[in-house]
Amino acid sequence: MNAESSLATDVTSPRPMLDMSGIVKRFGANEVLRGVSLQVARGETVVVIGPSGSGKTTLLRCVNLLEDYQQGTVAVDGEPVGYVMDRGGQRQRMAEREIAAAREKIGIVFQSYNLFPHMTVLQNIVAAPIRVRGIPRPKAEQRARDLLAMVGLSEKADAYPARLSGGQQQRVAIARALAMDPKIMLFDEVTSALDPELVGEVLAAMQQLARDGMTMIVVTHEMSFARDVADRVVFMDGGVIVEQGAPEEMFASPRTDRVRQFLKRYNDRYRI
Amino acid sequence: MPIDVHFLARLFPALLEGAEVTVELAVLTMAICVVWGLVVALGQATRGPLGWAAGAYIQIVRNTPLLIQMYIVYFGLSLVGVPLSGFASGLLALCLQNGGYVAEIYRGGLQSVSARQYEAGRALGMRRWTLYRSVILPQVIARVIPPLANQGISITKDTSQVAAIAVMEIMKVAQVWVESSANTYDVFLAVGLIYLVLTSVISVGARVAERQLAFVS
Amino acid sequence: MKTFAPLLHSYWYLFRGAGMTVLMATTAVVPATLLGALLALAQIFGSRATRSAIVGYIFIIRGIPLLVLLTFVYYLLPLTGVDLPPFWGVVLVLACYYAAFMSEAFRAGILSLPQAQWDAAKSLGMSRRLMLRIVIFPQALRLAAPPFINLCINLIKATSLVSIVGLWELTMASREVVERTLAPFQIFLAAAAMYFCICYALALYGKYLERRVLVGH
Repeated sequence: MNAESSLATDVTSPRPMLDMSGIVKRFGANEVLRGVSLQVARGETVVVIGPSGSGKTTLLRCVNLLEDYQQGTVAVDGEPVGYVMDRGGQRQRMAEREIAAAREKIGIVFQSYNLFPHMTVLQNIVAAPIRVRGIPRPKAEQRARDLLAMVGLSEKADAYPARLSGGQQQRVAIARALAMDPKIMLFDEVTSALDPELVGEVLAAMQQLARDGMTMIVVTHEMSFARDVADRVVFMDGGVIVEQGAPEEMFASPRTDRVRQFLKRYNDRYRI
Repeated sequence: MPIDVHFLARLFPALLEGAEVTVELAVLTMAICVVWGLVVALGQATRGPLGWAAGAYIQIVRNTPLLIQMYIVYFGLSLVGVPLSGFASGLLALCLQNGGYVAEIYRGGLQSVSARQYEAGRALGMRRWTLYRSVILPQVIARVIPPLANQGISITKDTSQVAAIAVMEIMKVAQVWVESSANTYDVFLAVGLIYLVLTSVISVGARVAERQLAFVS
Repeated sequence: MKTFAPLLHSYWYLFRGAGMTVLMATTAVVPATLLGALLALAQIFGSRATRSAIVGYIFIIRGIPLLVLLTFVYYLLPLTGVDLPPFWGVVLVLACYYAAFMSEAFRAGILSLPQAQWDAAKSLGMSRRLMLRIVIFPQALRLAAPPFINLCINLIKATSLVSIVGLWELTMASREVVERTLAPFQIFLAAAAMYFCICYALALYGKYLERRVLVGH
């Protein structure tokens, strides 16, 4: 597979890029995900909204098994991630090696950037391609520079993360995830820790990515991003998906009270 | 108090011979403890009897004096049929004690790396060994250098205690010279200076290493 | 291996030695703490000359083994004609030595408070004295408590060194018993166990303090 093909939309295949079914996640007695199922089509951008504590970040972290879950399965492009069903219908956890391999296909960007502080921007981006996928260094670096150009940070290749603004660090984190040529990108409240004037540059990079056909799940509080970029908006509350649909429909005429209340509170606060 | 130059001219070569033993002991102890401490720290990180034993070892050596440990090794082991020279006994006791401290330094370094760094590495598909080698350990090393240097200084000073089991390092040489002459001041001035030079070398070396490895401006 | 019979006849003697160790350590820790606090404050708020004098003092103390200083005072005291009992001589050395390390612990505690705390106190119109008393010190002391306890443990262990210059405490007592009974393994192990009980109790208290500090932040 070459570097560009993973970004291209393959509309001919009916198989969803991500298939989560019946995910149940408990922290002790507290059930934070209560049987969530979500399919994401190839090239689709799904924005997940909902009040804090609704389980949306946990759902995202279950996709690549940063968070373990007690029931349900996840598949990316038809390949299981984390658990497979054996002949008797029992869930079996995959070997660590297989889980690590599955994670390569799933890019994630965190709220707190999580760049490696002891590596330069370029080293951050090429570390996993070289050491995990065995890509030759010159090729990995070329790809890294292309990605840096894409997020508008070509001149920062040799800077250390501590020297960058939050918005710049977050764009590097996006480039780092893309360098593994993932089939799907997960964004976990990536603008929540940023100063307001830095939010725009990160959202612009994400919008570009969506336009290029990347399959994306975005957990965010940025309603304007949901309205402008999402193909589908998913509203979560209390560990379940309450409502989902096209953004224009959901924002204009929500079907449930909970969504209506959530949007009203949001609008009262931000006056949009 | 006038300084007797002729006396110093005779004293210094003798002290430097003692200093050689001091440096040998200190360097050997440091080299062994850098490895042994890591073994103990990794052992302590495991569950079960090994982790418990490593934890008990750390508490025991940290909460008993080096001098007593040295007496146990030097006088005690020879009695049960394992006679060790003064130098070997001193080295063993120094390594036993400081291995516990170095293990704690490594543990602190490992704990100071945020769980988010592990997460970021795992999300990129790194497996345990790659994650440790390219993400975690480089950060740990940068953070443990200052405390390791402090431990090195402390080890160098601790070597003076092997004088108590008749090893001819600086301290013992100094005692011999003080008892055989009346120039107490000169001897201790010289001994103090030599120790200051030795410990300063470690401080400066650590600062250079720290600057080489620094990544957070 | 012989039996532990020698221990039965001498345990009371060792206990008395342990009592002396505790007495010596507590007598030294009080002036060490006071002097350490004074040095820490003077280094933060003092004039440039004061600050460099203290930096020099700490440099020298950190670079020279305690045993060298103890031996120096042991040989020196008779020469100066000062009529100071050896007990007070070693207490003085222990206090001056550990004061340097304590000042570093206290200073780190004060300096690790975020600037925002100073700003907040200033913005409320507090005088420097008031600000230190009700805002800075209470927080800094909590931060400095765990390293302070570690230094106290080190001080207790360090009292064993005074046996080398002929003072009587637990280590000296155990050496005397060993000379009588020729059972070094049992006796030194017993002494080590006594040191362990004293130091580990302190260490547990330190852990308890540390947990409280962590909860507070």
